[in-house]
Amino acid sequence: MGYGSVPVLRGVSLHIAKGEIVGLLGANNAGKTTLINALSGMVVPMSGRISLAGADVTRLPAKARVRLGIIQVPEGRLVFPEMSVRENLLLGGINPTARPRRASELERVLDLFPRLRERFSQRASTLSGGEQQMLAIGRALMAGAKLLMLDEPSLGLSPRLVQHIFEIIERLNAAGLTILLVEQNLLLTLRYAARCYVLERGQIVVEGTADAVRSDPRTRSAYLGL
Amino acid sequence: MDELLQALVEGILIGSTYGLIALGMGLVYGVSGIVNFAHGDFILLGMYMCLGLYSALTLDPYVSLIITLPAMTVVGALVYRFVIRPIASHHLLMVVQLTLGLTLVIQSGLLMVFGGQGQRTPSFVEAKLFVVGDIVMRGPHVIACTISFALAGVLFVILRSTDVGRSIRAVHQNARAAALMGIDVGRVQTIAFAIGIGILAIAAALLAPGASIQPSDGLRYTVITLLVIVLGGMTNFVGIMLGGLIIGCSEALGTVYLSETLGGLLPYAIFVSIMLFRPRGLTWGTS
Repeated sequence: MGYGSVPVLRGVSLHIAKGEIVGLLGANNAGKTTLINALSGMVVPMSGRISLAGADVTRLPAKARVRLGIIQVPEGRLVFPEMSVRENLLLGGINPTARPRRASELERVLDLFPRLRERFSQRASTLSGGEQQMLAIGRALMAGAKLLMLDEPSLGLSPRLVQHIFEIIERLNAAGLTILLVEQNLLLTLRYAARCYVLERGQIVVEGTADAVRSDPRTRSAYLGL
Repeated sequence: MDELLQALVEGILIGSTYGLIALGMGLVYGVSGIVNFAHGDFILLGMYMCLGLYSALTLDPYVSLIITLPAMTVVGALVYRFVIRPIASHHLLMVVQLTLGLTLVIQSGLLMVFGGQGQRTPSFVEAKLFVVGDIVMRGPHVIACTISFALAGVLFVILRSTDVGRSIRAVHQNARAAALMGIDVGRVQTIAFAIGIGILAIAAALLAPGASIQPSDGLRYTVITLLVIVLGGMTNFVGIMLGGLIIGCSEALGTVYLSETLGGLLPYAIFVSIMLFRPRGLTWGTS
């Protein structure tokens, strides 16, 4: 899998069970974002197979995967800056599967993030980083996420806000949502994820439970690039 | 004084249609980053369709819209999907060249079918005049202005508060995020292009009554449109309408106070001087 003819990922295999929080760890440029973009259908793998609940989705375009509930919260949040919180959330629920339930989902998301209710008609570009992250997650929930893939949700946030965001992620998981957590922040991810994969230069070098990954010396070397 | 007022009114009447035409270009630019240099030629295509329908069925240009609007919209969608989109990911200059090529195709096509001499499409409102005080307004211009503003309003509401409009704005603001929300970016671009060309069908019907046209007139409209959207800030809705009014007024003033040829230069002079002081256009708001 890669861009043009340069492979970014080689021989990567991971599985996520229903209701799990799985961490995908690795230093910069390890291939984490490429991997979830492949899951989102934003890049087409050169070879390999992606399946959801037994069904092959490798050839499905991005919009079809959204309809199946594979939703990515991208790195840097990528909220629609010139639109209100309300419009951002409505756009989250624009796919045909989510649209019929849009009004009730909106209430659920606003209950989950009371801050977004306060900022409801404000433009997204005027929100703080933490609020934008809440909005990005809220937007993904509006899309009817069954597998929520978060790319660097802690990026650029204060420790207190990171704590808050991760507590919400934990709460969503407790309510049955399957989560793939892509993070550079090793300790944080190990605390919340049940199982982790460590990616180094496009290959998975460590995998297992959080405890096993924590104690594996290869995890450290993957991070330090040794 | 009356002369000035007369010129300003004429400028606003025609400028509103320029604004409408430029909204179509801004819409396309906003979602796909493409500047369509054949924009003016599509207007001519629309005007010649009016002429053809008049010759064949004696349809008034306004009535022809029943046929030209859907036809041009479909043409727009097909041109984007099968001609522009395959090239769209290549170098910007390739796309520029492609749309310039479209200019020649449309122009030559019109020349083949209709010939090169000036022709006009009559309409029942052509000779109507509206007189307010000392100001005389031509019927087609009054209709054009009313419909242009009304249509701009409709477009504004569509963009603000429908899912199609929100998708268009989402693609404009962040195409990647839009795709991650399940929006088919290519489809939105095609829709925007179709709307952009559909608007031109309406603009053509508004401009056609009584106007003498030649197949080579498209370039003039393209250039005016470019002036307007650059003035307006490319994707700023209000800015573009305002830009249309400014270009319309400067054209009208130039024709009244300067000679016919020199007057035609005034919009460009005003454009250059505004750009010197506000290089990013007249924008103050957002898209």
